[in-house]
Amino acid sequence: MEKKKPALLKKFIASQELSALVPLIIMILISTIIQPAFLSPANIFDILRTASFTFILAVPLTYLMASCQMDLSIGATTAFGGVIAAIASNAGLPLVASLALGLLAGSFVGLVNGILVVRCGLPGFISTMGMQYAVNGLISVITGNNAVLGLNGAFKAIAQTRLFGNMSLVVLYALVIGIAGHIVLKKTKYGREVLAVGGNRDTAYLSGIDPDKKHIQLYTAVGFFAALTGILYASRFSSAQINAGQGTELTIMASVIIGGSSMFGGSGTVVGSGLGCILFAMITNALIVMGVSTFWQKVVFGVILILALFIDRYRRSKSAGG
Amino acid sequence: MNETILEMRNITKSFPGVKALNNVSIEVRRGEIHALVGENGAGKSTLMKVLSGAYNAHEFEGEIYVGGNRQEFASVRDAKAIGIEMVYQEMNMMLDGTVAENIYVGNLPGKHLVNFRKLYADTQDILDRVGLDFKPQDIVRTLNGGQMQMLAIMRAISRRPQIIVMDEPTSALTGDQVDLLVDFLRDMRGEGVACLFITHKLEEVYRVCDRVTVMRDGEVVFTKGVGEVSEEDLVEGMIGRRIENMYAPGTGVLGEELLRVEGLSVPHPTYPRRDIVRDISFSVRRGEILGIGGLVGAGRSEILGAVFGQLTHGVRKKIYVRGKETPITCPRDAIRAGIGLVPEDRKINGFIWAFSILHNLTLPSLRELPHRFFINFREERRTAGVPFERMRVRAPGMDTQITNLSGGNQQKVVLGKWLIKDVSILLVDEPTRGVDVGSKAEIYAIMRELCAQGISIIMVSSDMPELVSMSDRCLVIANGTVTAELQGEDISQTNVMQAAIAAKPA
Repeated sequence: MEKKKPALLKKFIASQELSALVPLIIMILISTIIQPAFLSPANIFDILRTASFTFILAVPLTYLMASCQMDLSIGATTAFGGVIAAIASNAGLPLVASLALGLLAGSFVGLVNGILVVRCGLPGFISTMGMQYAVNGLISVITGNNAVLGLNGAFKAIAQTRLFGNMSLVVLYALVIGIAGHIVLKKTKYGREVLAVGGNRDTAYLSGIDPDKKHIQLYTAVGFFAALTGILYASRFSSAQINAGQGTELTIMASVIIGGSSMFGGSGTVVGSGLGCILFAMITNALIVMGVSTFWQKVVFGVILILALFIDRYRRSKSAGG
Repeated sequence: MNETILEMRNITKSFPGVKALNNVSIEVRRGEIHALVGENGAGKSTLMKVLSGAYNAHEFEGEIYVGGNRQEFASVRDAKAIGIEMVYQEMNMMLDGTVAENIYVGNLPGKHLVNFRKLYADTQDILDRVGLDFKPQDIVRTLNGGQMQMLAIMRAISRRPQIIVMDEPTSALTGDQVDLLVDFLRDMRGEGVACLFITHKLEEVYRVCDRVTVMRDGEVVFTKGVGEVSEEDLVEGMIGRRIENMYAPGTGVLGEELLRVEGLSVPHPTYPRRDIVRDISFSVRRGEILGIGGLVGAGRSEILGAVFGQLTHGVRKKIYVRGKETPITCPRDAIRAGIGLVPEDRKINGFIWAFSILHNLTLPSLRELPHRFFINFREERRTAGVPFERMRVRAPGMDTQITNLSGGNQQKVVLGKWLIKDVSILLVDEPTRGVDVGSKAEIYAIMRELCAQGISIIMVSSDMPELVSMSDRCLVIANGTVTAELQGEDISQTNVMQAAIAAKPA
């Protein structure tokens, strides 16, 4: 209140949607100064495409985190969905059937996650980590630890088709999912109830909401969209890699938190998560453009994840005080 | 015994933008119990922080004299060294330590090794003196809230302070524990210890204290002997206006039976294979306030929880709403049947911290707004506006975060959310706990208004004057059963207390 500059900055950090905007702008400025090619249309499209893949999964994860749950198995589920769909497709199943099979596999993993957390009362953070191991193992068993190669043209077209010259179709998918996700969270009764469950499970229950049902639904949805992301990866790289989603659980989680959702439920914004995803894609891209080694990228990601937690804590202490 | 032991002179403490204390002076005499009352935000806690050394001498203006000597505390340790002990509401117990260890923590007898024999003997002495019935070797986790609160007080006493400050020490205590504490404080008075007693309960001021200081908005309104000041004057001092009638009177007009509960049994939350409530039955009529009294832990909250469907595991019950048997297996069933619950501790499950007033108000009625999926925001605002105005919630607007409200206004929101629904039966658990006096009177008035409109209220309360004044009929629960059903003139503190301890817990 007393000084103007910090107040504006504080307002930015505290505002939900726009907290990722500041680092985003700083990022763009620094990168462009160091490497002007950063702002070329081709590079921007590339960044958006990379961000789209993570965003498709960040949308349901925003819901899950808003409901005060966590899923660390999304990386494994991503690979699982891609592998299952690819195997089915290679076995001669029609495209729609093989995609359905992949999505079903992912949803099933999510459903099991949900049941373990809700019905068996396990802590989601640890039980989904167990699931991550189990699913990764399962993938190796199914594929003999090899990528599934030789996907047919129809499968490849899902993600490789380009619109308006250069824009990947995946960007369009992400846009549709993002808009739908934003509307459901902010404008529907379902979205409000998800936020209520995350804000205070008991209060929500006493208000006639079934938190367990919500959690199972959301875990299942996260599994579904993880599989969808896996299918898109498989399509884009023309093969289902067994480590397709490896490490994405942390970057996506960080994107969601930087975007303004809380680790501890009760708040969430799809728009913010989108900005968070773009920020991460941009950092990856900038590091590559600048020729920084991938080992250093990991260091940067780790630091950003921890930074995201700090921002979350700061925001929470702001809103809880007073 | 009129010698001044503590004097705080012209204390002023500012935070950015607010003056929390403005030129406050207070003097406490040796051997007196001095009440400090005031609404939340009046500056009591800040004043006590100044006294405890939590703010060092440079962080506020003014002077502190103990026994006539000027003191400048650099830290809490300095204040303790001079014999000032604080007992806070948060008790900071080592839950897995023994009673003795918790009392003497930081002060254990023995040079290098702990002399346990002396430790236990000393502890036993203290426990005997107060009349507490647990052992020095008991693990603290096994004690109940009241016992822990007594333990916290013993811990402070064991350091032989000159001045002891207690922040709402009775809020967690049961009736007989309060008696023990009162006796004990009177003993301490004889020994010349001065006690500053912060409380919200005005009856305690009269029962326990010698003098009372009233604070409002960071200033001292007056200090008087308790014999010279009426309860109305105290309240007026605290809130700055006069409340003629704290407890709105009922109309006495009762309608037909709205809710009947038969054969309600609820398993004990901590002891397996035992019921905390055994086979009780009761009913409530249209426009009636049914009070439920009893000691803390008698199972009163469990009764409400079981009726509302919050507790289901092992619960046996038959519930009739308007004469029709209604199975209630979860809160949603209860809400559908027109029942609402205001839970015991609003901070735990009364509201959603991250939500605004508006979103908290409409949470239970969200489903009834028009359209299946989408929220009609205009309609939401319109429906929430009704209870918002009616409950006289003091806030800049409905978009204010609920965490920015005072306890009383938060409670109005928690109560108000059921007014949007067609609720005909309201279960309220400790309706005014942690609520300031002004809001309290408003909440009582609203409860009466609701009754006049034909709503039935079942109210669990540990606040005796509230229970006695607001109940049209009063059940007393002890040892899992109804030990008294009082009506009209028979509802008195004595009768309730007698019935509450009628059956000693098995």
